Amino acid sequence: MSVVDKVETTTEQREKLRMPRMSRRQLLLTIMPVAVLVCLVGAISIANPNFLRPASIWTVLDSSVPLLILALGAMLVILCGGIDLSVAALASMASVLVALWVPALEGWAVVLVVLVCALAGLIQGVVHVVAQIPSFLVTLGGLAVWSGIALVVSGAATIGVSGDTLAWTFTRLTGWNIPSAVLIGAAVVAVLGLVMLLTPVRRWLIAIGSNEPAALLAGVPVARTKIGAFIVSGACAGFAGVMLVGRTYSGAPTLADSLLLPVVAAIVVGGTAITGGFGGVGRTVIGVLIITVLRVGLSVAGVDPSYVQIFYGALVIAAVALTIDRSKLLFVK
Amino acid sequence: MSAPAEAPVLAVHDVRKTFGETTALDGLSFEVRRHEVVGLIGENGAGKSTLLKMLIGLEQPDSGSIALRGEQIKMRGIAQAGAAGIGMVFQEQSLIPNLTVAENILFGAEGDAIVGGMYRWKTLRQRAQAQLDKIGSTIDVDAMAEDLTFAERQLVEIAKVLATEERTNAEPVVLLDEPTSVLDRDEAEVLFAQIERLRTRASVVFVSHRLDEVLQVSDRVYVLRNGSSVAECVPGEVDEAELRRLMIGRDLEGSHYSEERQLPVQDEVRLRVRDLSVKGVCESVDFDLHVGEILGIAGVQGSGREELCRGIFGASATRGSLEMDGRPIRTSSPRSAISSDIGFVPAERRREGMVGTMSVAENITLPHIADVCAGPVLQRSKERRLADDWIERLRIRTASAAAPLASLSGGNQQKAVLARWMVSDSLKLLILDHPTRGLDVGAKSEVYRLIRELTASGVSVLLMADSLEELIAMSHRVLVMKDGRVTDVVDAPVGAKPTPVTVLERMI
Repeated sequence: MSVVDKVETTTEQREKLRMPRMSRRQLLLTIMPVAVLVCLVGAISIANPNFLRPASIWTVLDSSVPLLILALGAMLVILCGGIDLSVAALASMASVLVALWVPALEGWAVVLVVLVCALAGLIQGVVHVVAQIPSFLVTLGGLAVWSGIALVVSGAATIGVSGDTLAWTFTRLTGWNIPSAVLIGAAVVAVLGLVMLLTPVRRWLIAIGSNEPAALLAGVPVARTKIGAFIVSGACAGFAGVMLVGRTYSGAPTLADSLLLPVVAAIVVGGTAITGGFGGVGRTVIGVLIITVLRVGLSVAGVDPSYVQIFYGALVIAAVALTIDRSKLLFVK
Repeated sequence: MSAPAEAPVLAVHDVRKTFGETTALDGLSFEVRRHEVVGLIGENGAGKSTLLKMLIGLEQPDSGSIALRGEQIKMRGIAQAGAAGIGMVFQEQSLIPNLTVAENILFGAEGDAIVGGMYRWKTLRQRAQAQLDKIGSTIDVDAMAEDLTFAERQLVEIAKVLATEERTNAEPVVLLDEPTSVLDRDEAEVLFAQIERLRTRASVVFVSHRLDEVLQVSDRVYVLRNGSSVAECVPGEVDEAELRRLMIGRDLEGSHYSEERQLPVQDEVRLRVRDLSVKGVCESVDFDLHVGEILGIAGVQGSGREELCRGIFGASATRGSLEMDGRPIRTSSPRSAISSDIGFVPAERRREGMVGTMSVAENITLPHIADVCAGPVLQRSKERRLADDWIERLRIRTASAAAPLASLSGGNQQKAVLARWMVSDSLKLLILDHPTRGLDVGAKSEVYRLIRELTASGVSVLLMADSLEELIAMSHRVLVMKDGRVTDVVDAPVGAKPTPVTVLERMI
C-alpha cells in the first residue's frame, strides 16, 4: 500500500521523550512483591538463622509446589478478567480419583485424572463463555459440584494409596538432595512461562482482561482463549491434587479445599490484577513464595496455625487494596 | 476581594505538566479578564483538556502558577475549585440523573439546606430557583435531571456553577467544555444567548472544536498547540482558515475532505450484499460496493445502519448472503471477517476500538498477529519495526511504539486504530463507524486523507460519519437507510455532490 510521505518530527520527538516500558504503577507492582519477599526472608532468618540453610530452603520450596501449580492455572483465568474459584475443590476431587484409580491403572491414573480435571475446566469455560454466566458463579457452582462428586465417589472417607506409584512426586533426588517436586514445579513454570513469553497467548489474555469488546473486534479468539485458560486451570488443579496425594499417601474429598484462599492470595500478592489485564507467571511464582514463606514465618514466630487463615484473608484484601487500578474501574461493586 | 478592574480574574502563568513520557502542557500562560468570554482552541493533544482539569483541581501543575482574582491558588479537587468560584460545565455532563434539579444545583454545597442530615426542601428549592433565575431559565426545580433534554441539563449545570457565588461573594469563572457538541443549531443559538447573559455576571472560558462558534462567541481566542499558547487572536481580525492554520502549525494539504483525491469508481464489485437481515433491526438489505469505492450509509438512529455494518463484520448474527470479489463468504465472527480481509473501526474508540493499557505496537498488530509470528512464536523485533514504520507513515505522535495506547491523544489513538487494518496488504474492505468522532479539525482531515489513500490503493470503504456534510463529501455514493431498509441510493460524484438536505429528506 502506498501511504503517506514520512515526516521528520516524530522520530525526533520520540528521541526526546524516552519512555520506560512500564508505567510507574506497574513498576511498583513489580518491585513491591519482590521487596516483600526479601523482607520476609530477612526477618525470618534473623529470628532463626537456620532458615537460610539449603536444607530448609529446599523444604520450603518443596512445600510450596502444590500451591504453585494451583495458582499458575488460576492466574491465567484471572489474567483474562475472570476467576476460577473451583481449583481447590477440583484438586480435592483429583486426589480422590487418583487414589481410587492408582491400584488399577498405576501411573496412567495420573494422566487420566489430569485429563478429567481439564475436562472439568472445559465444561466450566464453555458454560461461562457460551451461556454468558459470570465465571465467578460458574466456578462457585463448580466448586460445589466437584466437592460433591469427591464426597460421593470416596464415600466421604479418606482413601489410602499403597505402593510407590506416586513416589516420584515426593522424593529426594540423590546427590544434591533436591526435592523432585521442586523440579516438577519448575518444569510447569518453564512450560507456562515459555508459552506466555513466546506466543501471542499472553497478549490475547491481557487484551481480553483489559477490554474484552475491543479484543473481540480486533479478531482476538476470545472464546477459545478464555476456554483454554479454564482448561489449563483445571488441568493444573488436577495435577496439584496428584502432588498432594504423593505427600500424604491418601486422597480425601476435602484434602485441598483450604488452599483456595492461599491461591487467590498468592496471585494478587504477586502483583497480578484481580480485575484482569495485568500479571503473569513470574509474579505468581513470587506471590506463591511470599505466601509459603509467610506460613513458615508464622510458625517460626510461634503463631498458632489456626490464625493463619486470618492472615491470608487480611492479606488478600490488603494486597488488592494496594494494587487495584481504580482508574480503570467506574464503580467498585 | 478588591483587585483592580483591569487585573485578570484568572491568570495562568507558565504552567507545565507531564504525564509519564508525554508533555501535556509546556509553559502555557493565559488569562481571563472580568466579564470576558475567552475561546480556547487547539487540536486533540494540544493541552485543552489538561488545562481545564487543572483549573478545576483535577490535575496539579508540575510547575507554574494559577492566580484567581490576584491571589495564587492551589486546588485539590472540584470541591475546592468550586469553593474558589471556578466551575465547569462538562461535555459529558455531570448531573445525577435520579436527583431533582434543585438537588443537583446545590449538590455538595447544600449548606443551610441540610439540617441534621435532612433536606430542608423549601430552602433548597428557593436557593436553586435563585440560581435558575440568574440565567432566566424556567426549568422546574423539582424535575428529575433525567427527564430534562440535553440542552436543559446544560443550563442546570451552568446554574450549578453560578451557585458558587453564594459562597465566594465573587463572580465565578465558568468553563464550558465543548458545550455545543451535542446541540442542534437552534439549541446552540439559545446557549450563545445564554453566554451573552452570563458575561454580565461571570467570566467564561469557551472550548470548542467548531471554529465558527468560537469566533462568534469569544472576545479573545487563544490557540493552543503542543501544550502552549501559540497565538492570541481577536475575532474580526482572523478568520477560520487562519485559526485552523495556527492550530495545526502548517497549511492543510488540499481541502478538508481531500475531495480532489476522490477517484472514479471501478466497475468490479468488491462486496455484494444480498438479502441481508439482522434480526429485529434491518431487513433484506441489498447493495453492491465497488473496488476503491467509499459507500456512505446515511440514516437516523434506529435506521439499522450500525447493526448492518456490525453484521457484515460478524459482530452480530445475520441472515443473507455476502460475496467478496465474486466468492461467497461467511462472517460468523469478527475473526472470520478479518480472515476475509475485512476491517472495522468502531465508533466508541475507548470502549471497543483499542486496548488502552497495551502498547501502540501491540494494538497495531493485534488483528494480524500471525503476520509477525514465525509459526507459533512472536517475533518482537519484526513487530517493533512494523509498528515504528506505521507510526512514522501515519505521523502518530507517541513517545515510542512501546507506550500504552491510552497515553496518546484521541487523534493519534485513532490513527493507530486505522494502522492496525492498514498493515495488512490484503485488506479489501474497511468498515468505518464514525471514524472522526471526537477528533479535532487537523486530526479529522488527516483521517480523511488516509481514507482516500486507502481507496486509491483499491480498498473499499463502508462509511458512517458524524455529519451529513462529512458523509457526502467523503462518499462516492450514499446509501440511505430508514427503519432497517435501504430506501434510496444517492450518487455523490466530485463536483456534483448532493446537498445534505437532499439526503436528509430521504432519511426521515
